[in-house]
Amino acid sequence: MMAFNYGSAALPVREDLKESYREFWNTLAQAGTWWDGPERVAIAQESRNAVICELCQRRKEALSPSHVAGEHSTGALLGLPASCLSDAAIDAVHRVVTDQSRITQSYVDSLNAQGITHEQYVELVGVVVTCFSIDEFNRALGLPLEPLPLPQTGKPSGYRPALLDKDVGFVPMVPPHGAINQEADLWGEVAPNVVRALSLVPDEVRSWMKVANVQYVMGDLLNFAADTGRAIDRAQMELVAGRVSAINECFY
Amino acid sequence: MKFSDRDVDLALINGVESAEGGGVAFGNELMHFAEAMASRDDVSLVSSREVLLETAGAEALVEAAAVAANFQRMVRIADSIGIPLDESNVSFTADIRDQLDLGRFHSANNSGLGI
Repeated sequence: MMAFNYGSAALPVREDLKESYREFWNTLAQAGTWWDGPERVAIAQESRNAVICELCQRRKEALSPSHVAGEHSTGALLGLPASCLSDAAIDAVHRVVTDQSRITQSYVDSLNAQGITHEQYVELVGVVVTCFSIDEFNRALGLPLEPLPLPQTGKPSGYRPALLDKDVGFVPMVPPHGAINQEADLWGEVAPNVVRALSLVPDEVRSWMKVANVQYVMGDLLNFAADTGRAIDRAQMELVAGRVSAINECFY
Repeated sequence: MKFSDRDVDLALINGVESAEGGGVAFGNELMHFAEAMASRDDVSLVSSREVLLETAGAEALVEAAAVAANFQRMVRIADSIGIPLDESNVSFTADIRDQLDLGRFHSANNSGLGI
């Protein structure tokens, strides 16, 4: 059966939502820029394991995540095959899902010593957040999660943008004026930091933006009077966005 | 806060119910649905989803789920990469940040505002 069918849901899920989710699933299964297909699907699996991880729950309640030792709920602990990911990669995925507001520059830098480059971290974040947002859509509607795709063979491209700056955030990014040549499609005249955030791995920006364009309205963000073309207006959208962000303690 | 041609009660963002939805159609119902989803409260999620479905309709429920899912992603991009507030937003969001007391969040450390 085709992925993201929603045939039994009895809810009017838009076709463009289904199509964007299918496109991401296809991308997820293939070799990316710094991780191969099996690793990318394993990262997605860990994003699901994280939400039921007991260690993550105890860390979330602790004054500092470093005060709580233990093993993440993954692989055999959940009755699943062993992950192909390193412990450091599994830990990074779980933190992005369950304790993202306490990720720091020193934590991201420390991953280098554990064999995870900034480029790999950025792609890992991209895979996690896009998969997580699709899973969250289903969960919000009381629907089962879509089975993860079968990984495809192939080697990561290792592509790195020619223009990079380390001006803001924990990792290098394409500078605001750097959306040229192969990066010309990433943004227009305005480059919000959240769009630049994953630009060290441009394909991850492309992936999440495709999903964002159908889950939300990413066009004229400051035109609050514009017709959204959706069943809820802009004030309703911003209320939902604001409450979700507040629960997640997100300043941005 | 003035939102287009109407006033919106920002207390909804902090989870406080407001008379007549705080100026937003189905404001209280949307707020409770978003809150239950983001806080992973399965019991509240079921009940708030049913209320939203009954009051606002199936299409609105699907759209609210999509927006909520989108921001489950956006907050994680922002915090995992530690991006600061965009300079262009600093001045016009100052009032809102104060009203919502956003400086209390861990991620305010990345704001670039010296919080």
